[in-house]
Amino acid sequence: MGRKTQENPTLDMTPMIDVVFELIIFFVVTIKQEDLFTKLNVNRPAPASGPSDSESDDITVTIEIGRRADGSPNGVIVYNHVEVTRPQLDTHLKDIARTSKTTPIIVKCAENSPHKALVDVLDICYKHGLNSVSVFTL
Amino acid sequence: MGKKTQENPVLDMTPMIDVVFELIIFFVVTLTEAQKKDETIELEDGQHGIVLTPDELPPTHMQIDLNAKGRISMGDRTLTPEEIQRRVAERKKKIGEFPILIRADFATQHKDVAKVMNACTAAGIWKLSFMAVGEDKTHERKRLKRAGR
Repeated sequence: MGRKTQENPTLDMTPMIDVVFELIIFFVVTIKQEDLFTKLNVNRPAPASGPSDSESDDITVTIEIGRRADGSPNGVIVYNHVEVTRPQLDTHLKDIARTSKTTPIIVKCAENSPHKALVDVLDICYKHGLNSVSVFTL
Repeated sequence: MGKKTQENPVLDMTPMIDVVFELIIFFVVTLTEAQKKDETIELEDGQHGIVLTPDELPPTHMQIDLNAKGRISMGDRTLTPEEIQRRVAERKKKIGEFPILIRADFATQHKDVAKVMNACTAAGIWKLSFMAVGEDKTHERKRLKRAGR
């Protein structure tokens, strides 16, 4: 007995290392990578006042969002009374941002419009640094 | 030397078992913390927004979940707009202004989003944020787009 312990004077680390590797593999496999999230800030007008057209002479940009008749999940974006695609809106807002980044943007959403369209419009506004966006509900 | 090894013939497993239990408890606690949200919500892409780092999410912030069918929830509890308004008002009275993050599904109708926004403004919080996906690391959105949603 005494002879045997003298033959293996060092501790056998192999099983412990096996277990540790097992644990590492288990956690690497089970932990799924999280998406990176962002937030888009909006201002909310007082519910009582509503969208007032009699604001000062400051230039404001109004974008309307509606629901397409066929119920498409993308919705309809209307800028200057004309329906625009997302790349077109991107170009318009780029021009506005070149003039002034503090230009107030008013987004008017129809009740049945999809939330996706609002987030898309907000994202385009943020892309050009237009951060003062107000959301109204029609 | 020979005498010493004979005194401790078996390996003391106690510290290793302690460490393993510690690890198990840590992961169980952190995992259940992360699961307290509505898993049915699919967010829209918004890579130009403000990246949500722990700095941007102070402990005082409030997150409101809103799924495609208009179900409003916080944590795992379904709430009505009136309850949201009451909770926001109570919190504002206690700690003052705080950020509200609305985690709304991309297919939610705007009228349901408006209900949540109106509840918040009625309680006195005017600055709201919508949550979006900045970087699709899990490729969840890509998969949805392929599926035609």
